[in-house]
Amino acid sequence: MKKILCATRGGEASRKTQDAVIAMAKKEGATICFLYVVDVEFLKLTARGVRADVVTTEMEHMGEFLLALACERAAEQGVEAEMCLRHGPLVEALESAARAEGVDAIAFGRPAGPDSSFSLADLERLTAQIEKDTGVKTYIV
Amino acid sequence: MFTRMVKRAGRQHRTVFVFLVLALALTLPLDQVSSLARTQETSEEVAQGMSLSGRLLDTLGEPVHDAEVAALEECRVEPVTHTASQSNGSFLLDLPSGTYRALTIKVSRPHFQPLEWQLSEAELDQLNTSGSLRLPDIELERRITPGFWVATLSFVLILALIALERLHKTTAALLGAALVLGVSLVGGTINPNLFVYDFEEALGYVDFDVIFLVMGMMIVIGVIEETGIFQWTAYQAYRLSRGKLWLLVTILMAITAIASALLDNVTTMLLMAPITIQIALTVGINPLALLLPEVLASNVGGISTLIGTPTNILIGSYADLGFNDFLVNLTPGVVAALIVLTIYVILRYRKPYAEAGGRLSDAMRERLRQGGRITDPEKLRKAGVIFGIMLVLFVMGDAIHLDPAVTAIMGAVAMLIWVTPDIEEMLKVVDWTTLVFFIALFMAVGALEEVGLISMIATAIGNLVGDNLTAAILVVVSSAAVLSGVIDNIPFTATMLPVVGYLTRTIPGAESDVLWYALSIGAAMGGNSTLIGASPNLVTAGISERAGYRVTYIEFLKIGLPAATITVIVGTVWLFIRF
Repeated sequence: MKKILCATRGGEASRKTQDAVIAMAKKEGATICFLYVVDVEFLKLTARGVRADVVTTEMEHMGEFLLALACERAAEQGVEAEMCLRHGPLVEALESAARAEGVDAIAFGRPAGPDSSFSLADLERLTAQIEKDTGVKTYIV
Repeated sequence: MFTRMVKRAGRQHRTVFVFLVLALALTLPLDQVSSLARTQETSEEVAQGMSLSGRLLDTLGEPVHDAEVAALEECRVEPVTHTASQSNGSFLLDLPSGTYRALTIKVSRPHFQPLEWQLSEAELDQLNTSGSLRLPDIELERRITPGFWVATLSFVLILALIALERLHKTTAALLGAALVLGVSLVGGTINPNLFVYDFEEALGYVDFDVIFLVMGMMIVIGVIEETGIFQWTAYQAYRLSRGKLWLLVTILMAITAIASALLDNVTTMLLMAPITIQIALTVGINPLALLLPEVLASNVGGISTLIGTPTNILIGSYADLGFNDFLVNLTPGVVAALIVLTIYVILRYRKPYAEAGGRLSDAMRERLRQGGRITDPEKLRKAGVIFGIMLVLFVMGDAIHLDPAVTAIMGAVAMLIWVTPDIEEMLKVVDWTTLVFFIALFMAVGALEEVGLISMIATAIGNLVGDNLTAAILVVVSSAAVLSGVIDNIPFTATMLPVVGYLTRTIPGAESDVLWYALSIGAAMGGNSTLIGASPNLVTAGISERAGYRVTYIEFLKIGLPAATITVIVGTVWLFIRF
């Protein structure tokens, strides 16, 4: 294993996933590609006039900040990590990044609890689908 | 030569006269011109015959237009004459000359009880003697028709589709308006009681002051938001607070409230939230401890000006309240509410603020600094000058008879000419779906007015509060606050406008406009109580989730409900002090 792709954000659950992936990369001697997906679908929640382009730019800044934090955490553990920013729905962005970055593995965080966006069963179905689509091995850490 | 001079002077006077007539014609609204013409025609006709005039009002004292008014003589099926009531409810029946021994006025209109008015002997005497008679105002009773249910159910459908997020707000509002129009026009030919209004009447309910004010402000805000001013001010708050979390949240809340008052609270939160999350991570605190106070302040701050929230824009236009009216009558109350809200927030989050810690690397601090810089200083300078002038015009608007909508459009045009001359680019910042949402919503609420649902609500509230202004204030504030927490406050406020208008006319002391401010406070501050109560809450939660910090409904309720309660109380107390 040479390069692990890990979609991340900035919350407590994301940090746990980052730690697990950093440990996995350290053990395997791999590098990490942290991915943040910019998605402004939430703008549909308001009927008010907003500039999606300006909001997208701000979300990119925030994403880069969160990715830089993740990379610093990896660097502190002696693991090399790089940042990757994509736009659009999560699964499409993940698959596109996996192909573009030439990764060997994709790591997903285990659902943190009832507040998590995914149930474990949903996540397992998703990882199986991504593995089938990209041919890249997936791990739930 | 003298004769030539006189002739030339005469030509000049004629030319001036023609221009004056043209100018006068252009100055007078078309309906006034046509009404002048009608008056002239009527005078000529009256000279040949007899006339009977009057005015039709509903039970709220509102004029009833387009009612069919017919005069019938005894033992005759065909009316002697008939007409339709005008927009002010008045009607004029031209009667053939003669002596009338008995005359009945029949009034009919969809959604009203048919009425027959038998002229008394005294009235007949006056008519026969003088040739004209002015009847006392005639009150028409409402009745529930199939059209009533069409309009009411369409509106309920709009609210439900929005609340359940099954359709986009604009699509939902358009669907509701289209349903009413479709049933009205197609079904109305089969059963007249299904008729609600025609397309022209439906458009008459659209408040174009609101549409143009919203559109103008969209362009102005669209330019300002790409300058980086929001991010810069947020970063300055971080810099100035020097690690004191209570000071940081206080400054951030103040910035958010002011920006929301002058621009728009959704835009403010969309641009403040990402940088706030970065600041929170830099100071080592859960971002929600800064984001939620900001969004609460944003909803409260927006109330202080006419342009701060869509609900204020609706209220201001309907009630003819200017920018200064909101500044004088609401801003002090909003400032008081914000102070109390800040104290509440600091107490509520005292533990996480005290425990905040952790230093990020210099590289991360530099990244934060880069994110909090002005991106286009030249554009900001120009946009700032224009916006400053706009604020002056908003304030002076009442004195110089300049509508806020005109000021907003002038500001937008100035931005087009001076800041971003590319009209294609500028027009992209106008969110047409929002404008269509407002247009469709006005039509849907207009249908409720047509069929009498608004009158029923107004009458019910009027009966509940009687002549008691205090009770009316409390009912308006509390109902607006509670309902805004569970349904979208824009349709709610649009529906309440004629209701509050009726209460303002009928309750002694309410002519001070206090009930409009009560509606503003309730509708906007009540939105703080739940996650779905206001658009800024939802978009902030959306951004927060993208950063890995999920805001649940319950979590928002825990901080939002007490915040809404205390700010509504402070706002209401202010109204009692002010009025």
